[in-house]
Amino acid sequence: MTAKTNAPAPLSAVGVSAARRDLADKLTGEARFAADVRLEGTLVGKILRSPHPHARILSADVSEALAAPGVWAAVTPFDVPPGRIAPDVPILDTKARFAGDEVAAVAAEDEYAAEDALSLIDVRYEPLPFVSDAAAALRADAPRIHEGGNLAGGEPLTLERGDVSDGFAQADFIIEDTFTTPAHSSAALEPRAAVAVWDGDNLTVWKSTRGVHQDRLMLALALGIPRGNVRVVGVSMGAGYGGKDETRLSVLAAVLARRAGKPVKIEASRYEEFVAGRRRHGVTTTVKMGVTRDGEITAVHARTVMDTGAYLSSGPGVIRRAGQGALYLYRCANVRYDGWLAYTNTPSGGSYRALGAPQGHFALELIADRAAKAVGMDALDFRLKNHVGIEGQPGERTSPPNAIIDTQPLEGGVPFSSNGLRECILKGADAFGWRDFSGGADGGHLKRGKGMAIFIYRGGPGGRSIARMRLEPDGGIRLISGVMDVGEGSYTALSQIAAESLGVDVDRIRTTFADTAETPDSPITAGSTATFSAGLAVERAANDLKARILESASDALGVPASELEMSGASVRHLRGSASVSLSELAAASGGVEAEAAVTPGSSECIVNSFGAHFAEVEVNEDTGEVRVVRYVAAHDSGRIVNPTLALNQVEGGVSQMLGFSLSEEMLTDAPSGATLNASFLEHKSPTILEYPDIQVIFADVVDPVGPYGAKALGEPPSIGVAPAVISAIRDAVGVEVKDLPATPQRILDLLEKRERARQ
Amino acid sequence: MNPFRLHSARNLADARRALLDADGSAAVIAGGADLLGEMKEGVAAPAILVDIGGLGLGEMDVGADGAAIGSAVTLARIAASGEIARRYPALSQAAASVATPQIRNAGTLGGNLCQRPRCWYYRNPLFDCLKKGGGACFAVAGNNKYHAILGADACHIVHPSDPATALAALGADARIYGADGIRTLPIEDFFVSPSQNMLSETVLEDGELLVGVSLPPSSEHVRSVFLKAKERRAYDFALASAAVRVELRSDSDIVDSARIVLGGVAPVPYLARAASDALIGAKMGETDAAEIGRLAVQDAKPMSGNAYKVRLAANLTARAITNLAADFAGRRGQ
Repeated sequence: MTAKTNAPAPLSAVGVSAARRDLADKLTGEARFAADVRLEGTLVGKILRSPHPHARILSADVSEALAAPGVWAAVTPFDVPPGRIAPDVPILDTKARFAGDEVAAVAAEDEYAAEDALSLIDVRYEPLPFVSDAAAALRADAPRIHEGGNLAGGEPLTLERGDVSDGFAQADFIIEDTFTTPAHSSAALEPRAAVAVWDGDNLTVWKSTRGVHQDRLMLALALGIPRGNVRVVGVSMGAGYGGKDETRLSVLAAVLARRAGKPVKIEASRYEEFVAGRRRHGVTTTVKMGVTRDGEITAVHARTVMDTGAYLSSGPGVIRRAGQGALYLYRCANVRYDGWLAYTNTPSGGSYRALGAPQGHFALELIADRAAKAVGMDALDFRLKNHVGIEGQPGERTSPPNAIIDTQPLEGGVPFSSNGLRECILKGADAFGWRDFSGGADGGHLKRGKGMAIFIYRGGPGGRSIARMRLEPDGGIRLISGVMDVGEGSYTALSQIAAESLGVDVDRIRTTFADTAETPDSPITAGSTATFSAGLAVERAANDLKARILESASDALGVPASELEMSGASVRHLRGSASVSLSELAAASGGVEAEAAVTPGSSECIVNSFGAHFAEVEVNEDTGEVRVVRYVAAHDSGRIVNPTLALNQVEGGVSQMLGFSLSEEMLTDAPSGATLNASFLEHKSPTILEYPDIQVIFADVVDPVGPYGAKALGEPPSIGVAPAVISAIRDAVGVEVKDLPATPQRILDLLEKRERARQ
Repeated sequence: MNPFRLHSARNLADARRALLDADGSAAVIAGGADLLGEMKEGVAAPAILVDIGGLGLGEMDVGADGAAIGSAVTLARIAASGEIARRYPALSQAAASVATPQIRNAGTLGGNLCQRPRCWYYRNPLFDCLKKGGGACFAVAGNNKYHAILGADACHIVHPSDPATALAALGADARIYGADGIRTLPIEDFFVSPSQNMLSETVLEDGELLVGVSLPPSSEHVRSVFLKAKERRAYDFALASAAVRVELRSDSDIVDSARIVLGGVAPVPYLARAASDALIGAKMGETDAAEIGRLAVQDAKPMSGNAYKVRLAANLTARAITNLAADFAGRRGQ
C-alpha cells in the first residue's frame, strides 16, 4: 500500500509523519483501556435485556437476585432515578422497544455472580405488537413505539434548492430507481465499557468515549447532579467510529455504584456490542436524476426512508447527511431531498463513520452511472462535466452574510474554501488507469470490472473549541485540550500543530487531554472535526504563547521580540549570540499560559472535503463471490498534517466499508423481531484476506480556513466504497446490485433472473 | 456458561464409563472449538466434560494402503500434510477451508465431524426449535438464506462440516468405539438426518466415541477435489460446497466410479446419486459438466430465501468436474 502526496511547501512539524504519541504504549500493551481500570473493591455490573421486541414491563422483582451471594445492588425501571439519557431514553423504562433493550441491572462481586443474579430477576412482560420495518412503521396502523408516533420529529425533512419540477422539465432523460442499504455494525474491537466510583456526592467515570465533556454533561443531566460534581476521564480507545457516542452503560454503572457504595464496572459483551451498541442506519433511497442530451444534470430528487430503530440517537443528523450528496455533489440549480426518519422495534441506529453519507452516495452514484450511460458518456467524463466546483452551487446567497456557516447550506451562491474534487478525479483515474482498463484477460467464469464514485463531505468545523498552552516551571511546554483521541491520532496531530506554531520540536510538547478535571471544554470527536476545530484553537493558543514567551525573552535580553526566535529549549537573538532558556523564563515569570477559544468556520465560504474512489473487482460467475483486487482512493482533505496517520485513515475507511459493500448486515428475524447474527461469525466483517491493494492519493490543496490548511479526513474514506465496488461488479457481470450487501446470494439471484428473462 | 466438571479420560473404556455414568449430562471435549461456543451461547450446559485428549487418538497414518486418521488430529495437521494433499486432495482442501488458522489449530477432525448445527435459530437461546426439543422450525417463516435445499423435512439445518463432505466423497469409514469395542461404518451412515433423530446429527449412542476415520487406498487413476463458496474468504461456513472423487479405468479415460457429495445444502452430507451415476461410464473430459451439475440438484426444494443455493451447488459441481478433467488431462500430459 502506498501514499502519494503532492505536498505543498513543507512546514516543520505539520506535514511530517510524527510517530503516534501512544505508539509505544499500544505496542507494548501498556495502554490502558476503560476495562483495564481496576479500583479496589470494584463490582461487576450486568444488564438484563428484553427478549421481546416490544413489551410493557409490568413488574421486575429483584429480591431473589439481591439475596444471592455476592450481589450488592440492583436497579429496575420501578426504582430507577427519574433522569433521562436522551429525550427519548430514560435511564430505564417500563417499556422495552427492541429485543435486547435494557430492562434492569445488577452489580455483584464477579461476573459469574452477576450473570447468575440476572437469571434470578423475575420480570413480567406484556408483549405488544411490534414493527421491524421502517416503511411499515410509518403506516397509520403501525404499533406506536414512542408517544409522538413513529415518524421522528413528526414530519419529514424537506430540503429544496430551485424547483425540481422545472429541472425535470428541462431534462431529455430521467433516470430513477430505488436502493437499499442495511444496518451494520462498526464491530469496534473494544466493546463499550465504563467504570464509575463515587466519593461523597462526586462521581468519577472512566469510559470509552468520544468526548469527556459531553459525557460529563450527559451524566449530570441523567443523574440530576451538578456538572461540577462529575469527572469523566478518557482512556485509550479500541476504536470509536461514532458508536461510542451514547450509552446507558456509564449511567447504570453510576446508579449501581451509588447503591452499592463501591466502584462498578460494566463492560459490554460482544453480543451486547452488536445488539445494544449503535449501528449504521438502514435506508431505502430513491433517486431521480434529469439530464440533458449533452450530459448536463438538470435536477436531482432524492427520497430516503431511514430506520432509526428503537431510539433517536443521532438520527436527525444522519438523515440530513444522507441528502448531502444529492443536494451538493453535482452542480445543479434544482435539487430536492425528502427524508423520513422512522422508529422501529429494532436495535438503535447511531453515529457511524460519515453518518448518512455512504447510504446517500450509494444511490446517487449508481444513478449517476446510469445517467452517464443514458447520454452515452463515460462515467468519468460525466463526473468531470457535472461535479461541483469551488464556486459552489448556482444561485444567490440568502443566509445572513456575516454569520459563520456552521452546517451545510442548501442555498447557492456560497463558494467553498477550497475544492480539490477535480484533482482527485483526474489523479485517481490516472493512477487507476481508468481509460485504459480492458477488464483483463478472459478469465472464463472469473470476470473483471471497474467502477468509480465521487463524494463530498461536510466535516471540519465543529463546535466551539478551547485550547490552553503553558510554559511550565521547568521550561517544558504543555498542550491542554479536552479533545478525545478515539484512535485516529488527534493527540498526535494537535501536538504537531502546537509544535509548528511555537517553532519547537514535536517531541518537546507535553500533553493533557480528555479529562474534565484538567481540560477546558471541547466538542466531541465526531463528524471529522477534531483536528480541524481543536487544531484552530491549538494553533491560536500556541501562537499566543509564543508571543508571550518572546515578549518575556525580550525583557530578559533587552532586544525587540521581533528579533527573537524559539530555538530548542531556548529563545535566541537572530542577529547575535544572546539567548535565554525557557526554564529561566519560566522561573522568572512563574509560568506563562495562553488560552484560545475559537468558533471554527467562515462566514464567507463552506468547508468541505472531497474525494474520488476507483475499484477493480473480480466476480466469480459460478458462485457470486466478489474479490476487490485493486483500489485507488484520492482525497482532498486539505493539507495533510501527518501522512502516515492519514494513510491509515483512508486504508481503514476503505477496508471497513468493503464489509458494508459485500458482506455485513445486521439481520432482524421478521416473525420474532430478534437479531439473528450478533456475532463476528455471522455479521461477516471482512477478514485480512478481503483487503485489496489500496493506493492512496492526497490532493494536498491548502485550505485557507483550516489549521495550516487541513480539512476533514476521518470519515470521508468510507463514502465512496460501496458505489465504486457495486459499479465495478456491474461492469464485470452486467447485473446491478441495488440492495447491499452484494453477497453471493444477491448476485446469483440477479444472474438467475437475467437468464430467465433471456429464455 | 454453567459450571462443569472436567474428567480427563485415562483410556477409551474410562471415557465410555464416564459418559455412561453421567447419564446424558456429559459431553466429549477435544479441541472445544464447537462445544465451548455452544456453552458460552447458552445452548449446551453439560455437567461433565470428558476430555479425550490423552487417549492416543492424535495419530495419522497415510500411505499406499489407505489412510487412518485419529479423531483428535487437528484440522491444521490434515491441511498441512503433503501425503493427504497428494492422495486425498479433497480432504486437504476441505480441512484448509475451515474457519481460521486459530480454529484449525485447536479444532480436531472428530470435533468437526461431530459439531452441532450452525443454524442461527438453533444457536440462539431465544428460539426453542425442534433441535432443542421444541415445537417448530423457525427457519420456515424466518430467514433461511443459509438453510437446506435438499433432504430436509421438518427441520432445515444444513450439515456444517467441510471435511464430512470430502470424506463422504472419498468413501471414508467412521471408526466408533462402543459396547463391543471398535465398529466401522461408511461415513455417510455415521450422519443421521433430523427425520431419523431430531436431537442428534450422528449415530453415536450414549457412551460411544468417534475414534477416527479410515480412507480407502488412492491410486494414479483417482482424483478428487473440494470446492466451497462462502461470503468472505476466511472464517465462514459453506454456503454450498461440492466434493467429487472420480476413478478412471486403468486402461482408459472412462470413469469407473464417481461420487459427488454436496455440503451446506442438506442436513447431512448429500450424496448426489443421479449425478454420480451419470459420470460412470462416461469419458472424462467429454462429459457435460453443467448437465451433471443440474442433475446434482434435481431434487432441490428451496425455501423462501435460499434458491440461490440451487444454482450455486450446480455450478460448484460442474466446476469440480471440469477441474478434475483438467487435472487428469494435466497429469497424463506430464
